[in-house]
Formats: sequence, structure tokens, C-alpha cells
Amino acid sequence: MLNYLIKRILWMIPMLIGISLISFFIMHLAPGDITSNESAFNPKASEESRQKLRELYNLDKPIVVQYGLWLKRIVQLDFGSSFASHQRPVLWEKKDENGNIKPGLIQKALPITLLINLLTILLIFSISILLGTIAAIKKNKIPDRVITLFVFVGFAIPGFWLALILMYSFGVVNQVLPISGLHSIGYEQMSKLGQILDLLKHLALPVFISCLSGLAGISLYVRNGMIEILNQDFIKTARAKGLYEKKVVFVHTLKNALLPLITILGLSIPGLIGGSVIAESIFAIPGMGKLFFDAVLMRDFPVVMGILTIGSILTLLGNLVADLAYAWADPRIRRGLAK
Amino acid sequence: MHKFLALLFLSLVVGCNNSQNLDNTNYDDPALPESGGALTNAMIGEPNNLIAMIAGDSASSAIAGQIFNALLKYDENLGFEGDLADSWIISDDYKKITFNLKQDIKWADDKPFTCEDVLFTWKKVTDPDTRTPYGSDYQLVSSASCVNDYTFTAEYDEPYAPALETWSSLHILPEHLLKDEDINDTYFSLRPTGSNYYALDEWTTGQQVKLKTNPNSVHGRPLLEEKITRIIPDLSSQFMELIAGNIDLMSINPIQYSRVFPSRSELNDKINLYKEMGNGYTYFGFNLKKKPFDDVNIRKAISYAINKEEIINGVLLGLGEEITSPYKPGTYWENKSINKISFDVSRSRELLETSGYQLNANNIYEKDGKTLAFEILTNQNKQREMTAVLIQRRLQDIGIDVSIRVIEWASFVNRFIKTGEFEAVVLGWSLSLDPDQYNIWHSSQQGPGQFNFIGYNNPRVDTLLEEGRKELNNEKRKQIYDEFSKIIYDEQPIIYLYAGYGLTAIHKKIKGVKRVTPPAGVFHNDYEWYIPKKFRRNEMSL
Repeated sequence: MLNYLIKRILWMIPMLIGISLISFFIMHLAPGDITSNESAFNPKASEESRQKLRELYNLDKPIVVQYGLWLKRIVQLDFGSSFASHQRPVLWEKKDENGNIKPGLIQKALPITLLINLLTILLIFSISILLGTIAAIKKNKIPDRVITLFVFVGFAIPGFWLALILMYSFGVVNQVLPISGLHSIGYEQMSKLGQILDLLKHLALPVFISCLSGLAGISLYVRNGMIEILNQDFIKTARAKGLYEKKVVFVHTLKNALLPLITILGLSIPGLIGGSVIAESIFAIPGMGKLFFDAVLMRDFPVVMGILTIGSILTLLGNLVADLAYAWADPRIRRGLAK
Repeated sequence: MHKFLALLFLSLVVGCNNSQNLDNTNYDDPALPESGGALTNAMIGEPNNLIAMIAGDSASSAIAGQIFNALLKYDENLGFEGDLADSWIISDDYKKITFNLKQDIKWADDKPFTCEDVLFTWKKVTDPDTRTPYGSDYQLVSSASCVNDYTFTAEYDEPYAPALETWSSLHILPEHLLKDEDINDTYFSLRPTGSNYYALDEWTTGQQVKLKTNPNSVHGRPLLEEKITRIIPDLSSQFMELIAGNIDLMSINPIQYSRVFPSRSELNDKINLYKEMGNGYTYFGFNLKKKPFDDVNIRKAISYAINKEEIINGVLLGLGEEITSPYKPGTYWENKSINKISFDVSRSRELLETSGYQLNANNIYEKDGKTLAFEILTNQNKQREMTAVLIQRRLQDIGIDVSIRVIEWASFVNRFIKTGEFEAVVLGWSLSLDPDQYNIWHSSQQGPGQFNFIGYNNPRVDTLLEEGRKELNNEKRKQIYDEFSKIIYDEQPIIYLYAGYGLTAIHKKIKGVKRVTPPAGVFHNDYEWYIPKKFRRNEMSL
């Protein structure tokens, strides 16, 4: 088991180098660099100054050299600073000699994205398991049909459209929820509890919207898994020996039907740090999606690479965790690994 | 499910009917000016860096402009007036400007403002180590010096007419805080100390920037105590915040201006709309180095075939103007004597035939076996895309085969503009307040990354642009640029399409906004704006 773990972790190193190499080159395939954004297209801004900036950031060097420089920094865990004129550190805050702090870009964007995604995943899984189970028990009856229709409508509705409709009805017409942003004006003066409530109010719509599209996949997974297992012999045995139906469904069937979800859960770990550009723009949430999108448009290479690197590390770790969790949950696989 | 949907719809419909009764305040109530209160507005992007010479993005300049002063500023009618300077004298040979600075002024941290600050700022903006794209204007100053604490002089080797304008856009920075700092990467850019109406109070990354009045403000205290700028990237969300009363002003689009507001009277009860000439124009430009665009008849034929009025109506819902020179309509530098090229299909056909083109069997113009066909490039900008489509249709009608290609900005510039690999573009330039157009039209400015990328080359225009830069007499200068505008319009290297209006919606509780917008824009007198106490937002209730 330990051997397996060490082997897997060692394998991640060449994988990461491969991923970063490919990302780096693909990123540079797109024409342009930080000096070619729209505000630089200004007759008052001279080409010489742009050239100077290119030299400063080594953008005039061959890509291989640029990659080497990047790799040299990254092995020291230095993600560098943004090319944008604020030059904020990509990952974590930096203190200057006077004790002034420049906050890191990912450091500021990640917590809020994580919070939203964790809430979303929690909601998706709990609602989906509930809906999937009901649909499986009432297979092909009205509740099953209604649930299937509901999750598919939720999946098919364009999120940005529904978001705008909900913002309008809950924020403008009936002013019960805030329209956009993370905090109300005057947030600093609120009590701790008030601040939490204020934040939750602001997150209600974004979380609801991102939940809705995720329900379909997982609830159908649960439903089909349940149906398959309900038809298996050991369930028949369980029923034959007179177990309560509740116990048959919620203990014997559900437990087995949830196994594949572990893989899905593991695979959604890298997704935790990714945000939706559209949702973040509409709800004015300064999260990872907008950060990445803007960085790509600006050709802000250190930020793009920083997010991609952290994303790939998390993906690889997520796979590993999923495999391990699977082994933990399913004795059949555990035995396979031990051999 | 049906129930759920029905409920959802019901709540929407019922909600819509109720909404209008929530807010019964009569915002038209007159009220005397009183200071205090907070104005909340929204921006689509976050400022990068509050040292404007380093930042270069519009969000940064918008915030920095409220914190810093320049030596001069534009007055209500777009003439110059003193900002940090009290007065200024231009020497008889036009080569030296002497600024008499305001005395007894303090920075927000109570340190005195002197000429040394101005000199320091000039040194920084011309320092090769400073990462500013705007240095070139100030490098023309051959020597700058402080005669005494309150007299600053700038000398030029050659007269430079746009000089005053350049001194109105350079924010003066405090030497005592920055002399030991690396201006490219200093904490000062996040926590600046300035001299203008406002000082930075709090900047919540990604969410909002809060300004409060600067007690040492050069021009006295403004009435509004606080200005909060929320960062809301999506314009529809901004609009909802506006009609919900959570933000007090925003710039709106033509659909909101002429469709949404007229059809909803309850919005007009609490929001005023303002219209002014915008800051830029959209044009259709040709790559003059490529055939057939080197032929003036072809360019004119295309100009006659395009219906500019239709574009203004279709794209801007009529909220824009045709222009004939690259200057703001209604301002001094506009050449009013130019006759517009208006939509005229038969004139267009005539010109095409003069150049030897004939309609072929497919009703497309053809010359020497080559059809008249080209591609219009534009970047991802809804208005420009729509404009390109309208042009395509009109040209198709007459017999020119046009395709459209829409590309993301950085690729657009690097792959096509810099390399000269394009045929025609729909793009925009700003309508500058100084008439100098050297960087866009002078034949020397055609290198990769420079702005005469269409390849315009006319010796007479070169001479005019050179003379115009040296002429400080406004009347003589006007003659130079009138001739320049006329030549450009006669040769149609670009077809001016429209200059759109800037549209602003401002909540009626904000008083003191001038009903008739002055040439300098609706925000010109925002230090006089105020919110009467009875209309102020209860901040805790949000």
C-alpha cells in the first residue's frame, strides 16, 4: 500500500512538468503579450515603451528560455508577480520593508471560490442523492418523471439567463436578496453573525444557479445505480429474509449505489478552485474564474501559469484521493491493491 | 414541476405589479445644498494602480483623477484653467512655459506642496526606468527647473503646441513619499496620498473602492462626503443595481436609454438621463498598401455605398452623430465646412466604373478577371460587429463581395494589425481635445506597433501635422487642422462612421447635476453635487 502511494506521488512529478510544458507552449501560441491589450492601443502610448516592457519581462527571449526561467522559479515555489501594472504576487501576499502588504491574487480569489464550490457540491450531492433515491424507488412513476424533468430543465436552462431573472425578481422587484457583490455597504459595522448572514444572502443566488445545472448528472447516477442494485440477488435475499424495506433501500442499496460517487467527488476536487466566468461577472464576485479569464485576455502569463499549475496539482491529487477513497470504501479494490 | 414553474411565474408577474409602489419618495422635491452623504457608482473593472502614468487603464485613471491634480485642467468649455498652477506664461518664441504654482497648499498628509514635487514628477515620467507608456510627450521638454518654490519652468527645443494638454494630464506626485521608492512597484500605488477633492479611504480588492473627502483639497471641500465605486463587471447587473436604488449612477447603453426608460415611467420618477457627445468615433479603415484600396475612387465608392445614417440608427438607435473630422462635433477644432459624403448608390457605381470595374454575371464588380471582394476585420465588440454587418449588406447590394471576421483583441492586433495582414477594419479612435493627430496620420508612424497602420502617406499632410505641432496661435493652428481634416475627408483613407453619445443615468436624489451638460461633460461639476439628507441611503438597511 505504502509502495503504491510513493510510486503514485513520484509519478506526479514528470506529469506536472509535462503538463506545465504543454500549457506554457499553448499559452504562447496565442498571438500577443501583456503589451498588446486594448488600453495600450492608444496613440499617446509609444511602441518603444512597449518594447521596453517586453524586454523587462523576458518576452523577447525564445519560448524555451522563458520556460526555463519560469521552471527555475517554480521549483523554489515562487509563482512570481503579475505582469499587470499592479504587479501583485500571483499566489501569496508580499510584505515590503515598511510592513506594507500587497495581497496575492490567488490568495484573495481562492477562498471565495472555494466557499461557493463547497456549498454547491454539498448541496448538489445531498439533493441529488435524495432525488435519485426517490426516483429509483418510484421508477417510471410520476415522481420519477417529475424529478427527471426537473433536473433536466435545470441542466438545460442557461444559467446566466436564469440568474438575471432571479436577480430581477428577488433583488429588484421584491428586495429580499442582494443583486450582486459579496458584502453590503456597511458590512464592516455589522456583528459577526450579521456578517455571516450578509455573506450567505449574497451567495444564495450564485450557489443556487450553479447547483441547478449539476443536479442532473449526479441524481441520474444515483437513480440508475440504485435501480441496478435493487435488481440484484442480494437485495432479493435481503427482502426474502424479511428486512424492512427502509433498511433494504437505505442501508443495503444506497451504500452500494454511492460507491461510484466517490470517483466523481474525487474528480471534482480540481473543479473546486475553478470558478464560472459568467456567474462571477454577473454576480460581481471576485473569484478564480474571472481572475483566470482576465489573465488570459491580458496575456498575463505568470497568473495564467500559476492557476494552471495549481489546478493540475489538484487534479492529480484529486485522482489519487479518489483512488484511495475507493479502496477504503470497497474491500474488493483494496484487496487488488494489496497484491 | 408544473406547480413549481407556475409558482415561479406567478411570483414574477405579481412581483412586477407590486414593485412600483415600493418607493414613493418624490425625488423632484427641491432641497438646498448640504454636505455629507455617500455617492455609490459602479465600474466594470478594478483599478490596477493609482499612479496613472504607470497604470494606463481607464478604471485607474477614473479613481486616480479624483485623488491627484495636474498643473492644468480643462474648464467647463474645454479651455484651460489652473489646477495646481495659478497661472502660466508662454514665452514669445513658444519655447518656454512658466507655471506659477498655487501657494500654501498641502498634500493630504499635511506636508507642503512645492515646485520640487512637479520637478520630481517630470523626472519620473521621463526616467527610462519608469514603466510608463506616456513618457514621449514629456521627453520633448529639454530642461525643466524650479525658479523658486512656486515657479516651475519647462523649456522645449522646438515649440510644441500640445504642451499645455500634456501638462493637464500628468498627475503631480508627492516627492517626499516617493523619492526612495521604486515607482514601478510601490505600495503607494495602492494607498496614494494626493491633493485633490478625495483621498482613498478603503479599497476592498475585487469589490469596491471607497473615497472620502480630503481635508487639504486644493479646491476646497466637495459636498459629497464619500464616493463608493463598486466593481460590477456585468452591465445588466449594474443596471439592476441602479433601478433597485443600490447604485446612484452608471453609464447606460442606447437600448436602455431609448427603449427601457421611455417605456417605464416609474424609472423616470427617480432617475434622470443625460446625453453628451462621447469621447470616441468608429471608422471603417482600409489597408492602403493593398489593392484596390490604393485607389481613391474605390474608397469613395465604398463611402457612397454605405448608409451612415442607417448605421447610427441601427447600432446606436440614433444616439450618435456623423463626423467629418476626427474632432468632437461642436468643439473648436471641428471643420464645419466639409460637405458630407452621403448615401448615393448611383454615384458609387459611377466611381467604380471610372476605375474600370464592371458587373459580372453574378452581379459582382470585376476588373481584369478579379472580383471586388475583401474581408472586414473587427474585434469582439458588439457595436463594431453590428456595424460591419450593416456595411456588408450595403456593399453586397451594390456588388462588392464582403466577408466579416471577428477576432479577440490581442490576436487581432498582433496577428493582423502589426503585420499589416488585413484588408479593411472596423475600429475606433478617441476624439482628442488637442487637434494633434501626428501619431495616427504622419507617414513616419507606420512601423509595426505604431498607429498609422493603414499606411497613409501624404507629404502635404505630413507638413501640416509638423506645422500644427509647432503653432501655438489658435487661429493659425485652426487653419492648419482645417486643411488637414479636409484632405483626409477628400481622400477617405478611412470612412468616418459615427461618434456615439455618452449616456449617463443619475439618480434624482443626486442634486446639483447641470441639466444642460457642458462640453466638458456631466461629471465636470461633481464637486458641487449633493444628496439632501432626506434622500440619503440608510446604509445599514441594505
